[in-house]
Amino acid sequence: MASKPNVATLYSCFTSGTDTTISLIEVSISPGIPTFSVIGLCDSSIRESQGRLRSAFKSCGFDMPKGHITVGISPAYMKKAGSAFDLPMALGILFASGQLYLPPESRIYAEGELTLGGEVKGTPGACLRLKTVRDQTFDYRIVPAGESGSAGIAGFRGMGINSLSDLSRIFDENNYVESDFDYTGNSDINQLLDISMLKGQEKAKRALLISAAGFHNILLMGSPGSGKTMAGKILSGILPPLNRKELSDVYSLNELIEGESAKISDVRPVRIIEPSVTVGKLLGNSLSLTPGELAMANHGILFADELPLYKTEVLDFLRKPLEERKVSLVKRGDLYSFDCNFIFLGTGNPCKCGLMYEKGCKCRCTENQIRKYQSRISGPFLERIDIFSEMRSISGNDMASIYIGDSDSESLEYRKMVENCWHIQHERYGADLLNGTFPDEDIKDLMRIPDKVIMYASEMAEKEFFSARGFTRALRVARTIADLNEAEDVSVDDISEASLFRVKGALI
Amino acid sequence: MNDTNDRFKDFFYSAVRLNTEVNYKTINELICSKAISSYRELADMEQLTRIADGSCELSEETVTRIKQLIDSYSKIETITHNYQKIAADNGIEVVSCEDDNYPYNWKVQTGMPKVFYYSGNYSLLDKMVLKGSIAVVGSRNPSKYALYATEQFCRDLGNKGITTVSGMACGIDRQAHLASVNTEGGTIAILAGGVDNIYPSANKDIYNTIRQKGLIISEMPPGQQPLKQYFPSRNRLIAGLTDCTLIMEAGACSGTLHTASFAANQGKEIFVLPNNIYYENSFGGLKLLEDGCNVLVSKESVIDSISQALMYKRMTMGNKEDVFYGELPKNDEEDQVGIEVLRTLAKEKPDELDDEKWKLLIKDALTLKPLCADELCVAMSLPFYRMSKLLTDLELNGTVCQEKGKYSLTFV
Repeated sequence: MASKPNVATLYSCFTSGTDTTISLIEVSISPGIPTFSVIGLCDSSIRESQGRLRSAFKSCGFDMPKGHITVGISPAYMKKAGSAFDLPMALGILFASGQLYLPPESRIYAEGELTLGGEVKGTPGACLRLKTVRDQTFDYRIVPAGESGSAGIAGFRGMGINSLSDLSRIFDENNYVESDFDYTGNSDINQLLDISMLKGQEKAKRALLISAAGFHNILLMGSPGSGKTMAGKILSGILPPLNRKELSDVYSLNELIEGESAKISDVRPVRIIEPSVTVGKLLGNSLSLTPGELAMANHGILFADELPLYKTEVLDFLRKPLEERKVSLVKRGDLYSFDCNFIFLGTGNPCKCGLMYEKGCKCRCTENQIRKYQSRISGPFLERIDIFSEMRSISGNDMASIYIGDSDSESLEYRKMVENCWHIQHERYGADLLNGTFPDEDIKDLMRIPDKVIMYASEMAEKEFFSARGFTRALRVARTIADLNEAEDVSVDDISEASLFRVKGALI
Repeated sequence: MNDTNDRFKDFFYSAVRLNTEVNYKTINELICSKAISSYRELADMEQLTRIADGSCELSEETVTRIKQLIDSYSKIETITHNYQKIAADNGIEVVSCEDDNYPYNWKVQTGMPKVFYYSGNYSLLDKMVLKGSIAVVGSRNPSKYALYATEQFCRDLGNKGITTVSGMACGIDRQAHLASVNTEGGTIAILAGGVDNIYPSANKDIYNTIRQKGLIISEMPPGQQPLKQYFPSRNRLIAGLTDCTLIMEAGACSGTLHTASFAANQGKEIFVLPNNIYYENSFGGLKLLEDGCNVLVSKESVIDSISQALMYKRMTMGNKEDVFYGELPKNDEEDQVGIEVLRTLAKEKPDELDDEKWKLLIKDALTLKPLCADELCVAMSLPFYRMSKLLTDLELNGTVCQEKGKYSLTFV
């Protein structure tokens, strides 16, 4: 006569790309020929767990029960992968076989990978999973100690364990202590390149400052060796550090890709893309829902070096995300969207030889060559650029004073100005919104732009300084300049400075 | 009469020159030894066979070349027909040195083309003999200053009836054609390739205008691509066709200097627009000035020089008609502000200067050469945010303009 199977039930969570699903894990052991089967569309990384479980049990003094073991993972219609189910499966087997005491009517959450020696390890995607689990009610929440950083950032409360033998202390000795997790972020913001490296390039410095202060997209064009590539690092150095929410957004994606080795840092991310980048890589993979470069650059900087070498379709694809600050992936009819609220920083040479902006007439490119080179960046794309600055090679004297002179951090001063400026803008628009990112186009009243200034700006537009879109972009830049001056209203001076950073006139 | 036949022979000559090894030297030898009386006889098969038979005293090289020509006679004939077809389709005419209307300036010099092709208003060439002509050449990548001067000189001289001749390249050439095409003097473009070949293609607009109102000339037969090696020869034609040459802007080693040396060798006056000595793209022109060329200061001196050339020409041609260029308008002298005072003030008491004074100083700095915003900041010791406001104001009222990231005066 068949005996009633013992079923243990607990909960875990799995990530499929950025999509997280809480799943129910049931383990049943019934007498019969010893078998081990995992059901619920699991891939081989989950099915292989049998080997890890068997060895880990032995190492920690538990026994693999003899009998017919079935592990069911729901929702059974979704494909699952990853080794984070090891710990809940082990717990389920131990409960079902009676080796551990299962407190009645209790909801248990567990995740973690097991080693053959019984240690519990974290797996990638922990931060996203723990954020999902955070607000659910569970009586026991057990995570690997190695995931404490992710747990801390996710604001997750629970207990971290190092090895399978810790389980007997929790359940047999009833020693479950729930606590907050601490994470130690390292702030290496001061180790970034200092803006004083751009000595003598006042326009570029001012452009970087305004770009950081209002989250404006920026394009720097200049000679080879003028410090364009440095500008990316400099820009992230003058941006204020990530706040807690932003840090958690940034870290959870980083952790998904890099696993435990992801660094917890409040420096804004700089994603450097190469001219060979494809639209797919920018967007992310819709099948596995892995975020692309655009999503990874959220809250930070997307740095496109050598912009004129990009394929035009890649640049033109960027237009929409730059406008909407969002990218969307479609997977089986469902829309998944990622925030991509970044500063776009593009750099490049103005012409083939790159010397167009140099003093004198070093550039030997013909008008046609220059036109051909620059036409690779399309006009509509350039309209999304708020700030343009040209750069020249740094003169010998300035070079000497950069390396010999005092090493006072000028970036620190800039960062304070930017922080102050952000504060003013957050008070105006609400949290997380800045002049460059505020979605509404009807901004005149909120931005406090007097009619006099609008008139002056329209006079500029009349003389073809900027297009219709360029007009509103210039007003936003002017607002940022006014914020940097801590002025209530935008003045004529602000708009005339803003117009100096337009693309027209600097390119052919 | 057999005009059509002569035209065929002219086209045939071009085809021979471009497609066989028969060169200038060969033809010269043939004519000197009286084997043929004119280049047109190259199309005469009987004549050629007679030469190849060795009936004349000719060098071996020449005889072999003529033999080659006989061998490829039918091929050359096809090419010639092709030329004629393109010419007919595009309204291109041919002129030979044996025609009466062959330009006088070319007739009196050696090494000028025996046949050339044209499209447009041929009367310009006739008028040129009476009123004179200038060659205007310069950089393809000129400064605002040179462009402005080109426009002024070409328009003013054109209004006096003087024809402007240039090469329809970008930059100075383009400006010269644009400024003169609607004037009384008119404009002539000499191309390096065939007359139907628009090069550079960006100048299609002025090509069409010149074809309507001016004249387009080339020594190359219709359909010929402009090859690199044809350009110096083209420059020689420009210098040769005109009475004096204006060099607007020339870099240290540029094609413009070729034109200048051709003009000098042909005994033509050369005028060089004086430019900033610190501006690299004007070094070639400045070197010419150093070597003793005329300084292009006013159009009067150009007119004087042309009148002299014309007078000499008339003496040789026996034409006594006088040339009158009319009264010249006077230029308004701009008031000089005490800029020197301002400069010292800017150094000693920068706070006392208001925006207008700073603007004067910026204009002063830009007269030297185009500068970028950073350089202006350093030169004025003004912080960037103040400079930006001044520059935008100046740009808005049209005093300065931004080009390739540098600011320059607009000369308006």
